[in-house]
Amino acid sequence: MSVGQYTRFQLAHSQLDAAIGLYVTNRDRLSAITLAGAADVLLSQLVLRTGKPNFTDRLAEKDVTSEGTVPPREVVGQKVNDTLHINQLKHFDDGAEEVIELDVDECALAAILKALANYVDLPEHDKNLVLAFKLWIRENLDPKKYNVNCDSNWTAPPEA
Amino acid sequence: MQRLHRTDIARRQLETAVELFLQGLDRSSVITLAGAASNVLDSLVRRAGKEPFVDYARRVHDHVVGGTPKRRSYAHHIDVKLGVVAHKHFAPTDPDVVELDLEKQAADALARAIADYTALYGQNEPFVKAYLQWAWGHTDGPAQMESFKSVPAKLRKTRR
Repeated sequence: MSVGQYTRFQLAHSQLDAAIGLYVTNRDRLSAITLAGAADVLLSQLVLRTGKPNFTDRLAEKDVTSEGTVPPREVVGQKVNDTLHINQLKHFDDGAEEVIELDVDECALAAILKALANYVDLPEHDKNLVLAFKLWIRENLDPKKYNVNCDSNWTAPPEA
Repeated sequence: MQRLHRTDIARRQLETAVELFLQGLDRSSVITLAGAASNVLDSLVRRAGKEPFVDYARRVHDHVVGGTPKRRSYAHHIDVKLGVVAHKHFAPTDPDVVELDLEKQAADALARAIADYTALYGQNEPFVKAYLQWAWGHTDGPAQMESFKSVPAKLRKTRR
């Protein structure tokens, strides 16, 4: 056992890599949410340090109010984290419900994709990891429901 | 949509953390998953009217150093020591490079989570037994039990 120096990118990469492994093997998609969520915290800040907007900023720009105001990054980030139940899996505050409802598969996929959106914006990212996950998506997800070919003209089907 | 009790969430995260650890896989993911499980278990232990790891550690601090630290700040201090914070928080002013002992911190993060888990559910599940057997063999269990005899009686047990 010894102390070593690690960049935040290394910590984020290894957690994202593990999250993808747990997801594609269906070993534990719940834990994939937690790991992708933690990785994304680091990746989001790393993207900002390159001088570029991160994924949350790009979402916020699409959520401009009728007065032309862009919602704050923190508000949009919190909303996304709540939607994906990221905080509920790592916090259990006094008074909170003991039972929660979530679609584990959907949340895990979305949490990984959100982290990947920031990951690919960093120059040191592992292209093979991204390609492998995209290939897995193409081979395993329903093309009627998901944009499995990453087609920019693809439109989501209406919600049932 | 699935309904999950917090117990199931903590168990799944902790079981996967133990599995990754014992298979020699990513230590960063072990730390994050054990940290998330600990947060959930801490509340569950308190709701069961028992003493969680953090409060036991505060009693030890009082005995060894003097004074009982505030619960929230001591819990955060433990998270920092275990490397949990470095893996999931990254403020704009934080350094990009961190010093960690991933091997030791992963083992210790598991020890904290297992302590709270066993307080609620015992030691009979295979993943709990597997971790305890590893800990016994790798941290010189017999020597620890010997030194435990010199621990004051009031610190030998948590309040259960």
